Amino acid sequence: MAEAAHAPSHAAGAPHSATGIDSRKLLMWIFLASECLFFGALISTYLIFKGDIPFPPASFIADHLHGGEVTGWFPSDRIGPDGTEYAGVLNIPVTSASTFVLLMSSVAMVLAVFGAQNGRPKMMKTWLFATMLLGILFLGFQVFEFHEFGAEGLNLSTNQFGASFFVLTGFHGAHVTVGVLMLGSILIGSMRRTGLGPDSGFHVETVGLYWHFVDVVWIVIFTIIYLIPA
Amino acid sequence: MATAAGALAPPAVQAPSGVWSWLTTVDHKRIGTLYGISGMSFFVLGGIEALLIRSQLAVPNGDVVDADRFNALFSMHALTMIFLGVMPLGAAFFNWLVPLMIGARDVAFPRLNALSYWFFLAGALMLNASWLPGDAPDTGWFAYAPLTEAPFSTGRAMDFYTVSLIILGTSSLIASLNFIVTIINLRAPGLTMFRLPVFVWMTMIVSWLLVLSLPVLTVGLVQLYFDRNFTTNFFIQEGGGDPILWQHIFWIFGHPEVYVLILPAMGIVSEVLPTFARKPLFGYAAVVFAGVAIAVLGFAVWSHHMFTTGLGPVPRVVFSATTMTIAVPTGVKIFNWLGTLYGGNIRFTTSMYFAVAFIATFTIGGISGVMHASPPIDSQQQDTYFIVAHLHYVLFGGAIMGIFSGIYYWFPKFTGRFLSESIGKLHFWLFFIGMNLTFFPMHFLGVSGMPRRIYTYDAGFGWETWNFVATVGAFTIAAGMLTFIWNFFRSLREEPNAPDNPWDAPTLEWATSSPPPEHDFDAVPLVRARDPLWHDRDNGLAQPEADPNEHIHLPPPSYYPLLIAVGFALMGIGALSHLAVLALGVVVVVYGVWGWVLEPTGPEPAAGAH
Amino acid sequence: MSVESGHAAGAHERSHPTVRQYLLIGLLLTLITVVELIASYSDLGSLLIPILFVLSAVKFAVVIAYFMHLRFEDALLTRIFVVGFVLASAILISLLALFWTDGAISNR
Repeated sequence: MAEAAHAPSHAAGAPHSATGIDSRKLLMWIFLASECLFFGALISTYLIFKGDIPFPPASFIADHLHGGEVTGWFPSDRIGPDGTEYAGVLNIPVTSASTFVLLMSSVAMVLAVFGAQNGRPKMMKTWLFATMLLGILFLGFQVFEFHEFGAEGLNLSTNQFGASFFVLTGFHGAHVTVGVLMLGSILIGSMRRTGLGPDSGFHVETVGLYWHFVDVVWIVIFTIIYLIPA
Repeated sequence: MATAAGALAPPAVQAPSGVWSWLTTVDHKRIGTLYGISGMSFFVLGGIEALLIRSQLAVPNGDVVDADRFNALFSMHALTMIFLGVMPLGAAFFNWLVPLMIGARDVAFPRLNALSYWFFLAGALMLNASWLPGDAPDTGWFAYAPLTEAPFSTGRAMDFYTVSLIILGTSSLIASLNFIVTIINLRAPGLTMFRLPVFVWMTMIVSWLLVLSLPVLTVGLVQLYFDRNFTTNFFIQEGGGDPILWQHIFWIFGHPEVYVLILPAMGIVSEVLPTFARKPLFGYAAVVFAGVAIAVLGFAVWSHHMFTTGLGPVPRVVFSATTMTIAVPTGVKIFNWLGTLYGGNIRFTTSMYFAVAFIATFTIGGISGVMHASPPIDSQQQDTYFIVAHLHYVLFGGAIMGIFSGIYYWFPKFTGRFLSESIGKLHFWLFFIGMNLTFFPMHFLGVSGMPRRIYTYDAGFGWETWNFVATVGAFTIAAGMLTFIWNFFRSLREEPNAPDNPWDAPTLEWATSSPPPEHDFDAVPLVRARDPLWHDRDNGLAQPEADPNEHIHLPPPSYYPLLIAVGFALMGIGALSHLAVLALGVVVVVYGVWGWVLEPTGPEPAAGAH
Repeated sequence: MSVESGHAAGAHERSHPTVRQYLLIGLLLTLITVVELIASYSDLGSLLIPILFVLSAVKFAVVIAYFMHLRFEDALLTRIFVVGFVLASAILISLLALFWTDGAISNR
């Protein structure tokens, strides 16, 4: 369905708007502003507890001693005052790969929007599908990571790092999941006879805004949790 | 029901009747009515809770209720009044008035609007369902850790609390998003931001406060839920957490929330005073900017609720300074209202009584508030009845008086009938005398050391007299409420023949019939100045004629908002019981969202509906 | 705020990046991430955190401005997002200041 390449947010039938901005786009941006507060509070909690994780009790050390190191307690490697070695749970190379995957999903998303706004439905569908796959792959990395951490002994109740880490990244993952569902819905919708309707560029763009925001939140999380040392 | 100017207007479509039409409505006027009836009902419930509290405290060693029940009563009284009373009553006015005041035919997203209401109702019912298993929240509306944590709150009261507030918060968030977009984008031609009625400005400011503060509360509620159900230790000291973190997170939401409670009433009063003083609001721009300033500063004062928690001298100084600063824009508004009255040709209607009394009683509450802003003084006042006095002067003397002013003012517009002025004045005096009798003595009680949240007290502290007086005052308020309810039902039995603009008011909602037709305006108004109707009247201008050939498309009703709310409620119930119920709720929500997205909304693809 | 009836087609859409530009931006984001990784493994001492902060801020801004198209949209949308972002940052900084007094959580 060919559309004017220069006016994606003024699709046919978009209602009167005193500012010229499509109301749905305006809604999405205000929502994203509120999401800054949501993730800001979760990140604040993480940072408040970070760097002040006490050493574990002896019972924990006894249960989690593997190959001379205590696992499942600290984010990164540490040596205790008594010489005990602690192996950090964070796996930066693996998480860098998942970060790269999410970044590439944003590139794919932007190409899907480009296809939708320039009347190239095949391009749109291909890149929507790619975005979805990359998003699912990212979620796979998260599931793997959560499972690994759990196996090493870190869970919600272990210590403050565990609690704040899992809640922060867990909610981010939940947001990614919602995004994947939205992408899937748009993709299925686009495969109908009527496609996504005359407003297809707009719908894809709106989902894209959400998707990029979730990526942007991950940029912050990745830096704060993984790159900045305790 | 079309106006004279719209004699050639398209025929007024009779609004559908019947329960299903109400369950599927997306009409802002009906949604406003739903919020209003609900809000008023829960206000009465909160009042009954207050009467039980006051009965228990009327005399020393009272035995009306036991300590546990008392704790639940004062907690639920606050939660009910704040989230189920004042906020929905505000939403009732937002819904009814904002589209009309900006010359629009509905809000930007009518189905989302309905969704907000049904989410509200779900959260309200869930919160009160906690009474049934005897598990009503009983740790105060602010739910301080560690009392709220598993070792100390062993029932499910705090899980009812977290889940219900998450549902209620989602409702308010969705509504706020809707109103911001509506006010920015759906204004009639000529209606610039600085020609907006102050009430619309206040709606926008309140919506921004909620959009930015609710997410923080949500995080805190999630963390508390996780502490209680998934063995995290966010607020549990023994596990490495910090109870003070809860307080910060709660009050970062909680303080903007109190401005959410008062600003709608300030907006109402800013509309009522000019009408009945027969002169424009004094210092419109100052009042608007003051509202914005209050909202911005409102995010910078939260720790004044925590002066006695050992914050340290620097935080105390900073938050004390910001709190005192916020008194300035508040004072600006008060002086502007006085300036509106000064030199005016005052008509003392019941609505005006409430609005003028608002200025007095809210100011008293503001003065005690400024006292609390000083940490040394607050160290005496914190957790005493002095604070109870302050908060009730600003919330009852402020928000409630303002809301009733609005009810008497706009009742003709909403129903086509007038509330009786004589019964109204009786109602007013019972409220005014009652509230001062109830809450003024609490200043004395606080200063003489009576702590908050005690279920009884011994004789001999010197608290007997004022407690008794306060209880008499509370029952006086109750008499006033009964008077209002009598007035309300009596008035509804009258013929609906109120004119379009019985008060000769200046704003656009008075440019259409009372009540408005389903499509609000026969012709979209043209706004040439602030106070458009006065401007038109004084310059001999008329509004545009309706186009008889115009087909006004209204968004069709939908049951998906109700369905999605049912699904969300199931998710909440599941969070309190079984994962299977939660999963079912998710399925219902997803099904509802799909149905919503695919639902046709009329001839134009996106005529304001989403 | 000016009032326009209906569409102002093109008024707010000054230009769109091309596919090539999007891919270049993707490459830039990847490169910055690589630099961040190298930095986190290097011994940069107290310079590490500011460097990481700046690099992430650049990635953040680039995704918002170009991928989310904010640079080409009505300024109102930018202001709206900035309000949320600035408030969240201010609250975060305030909370850290309140909790990190004397380098430790005060209630331990």
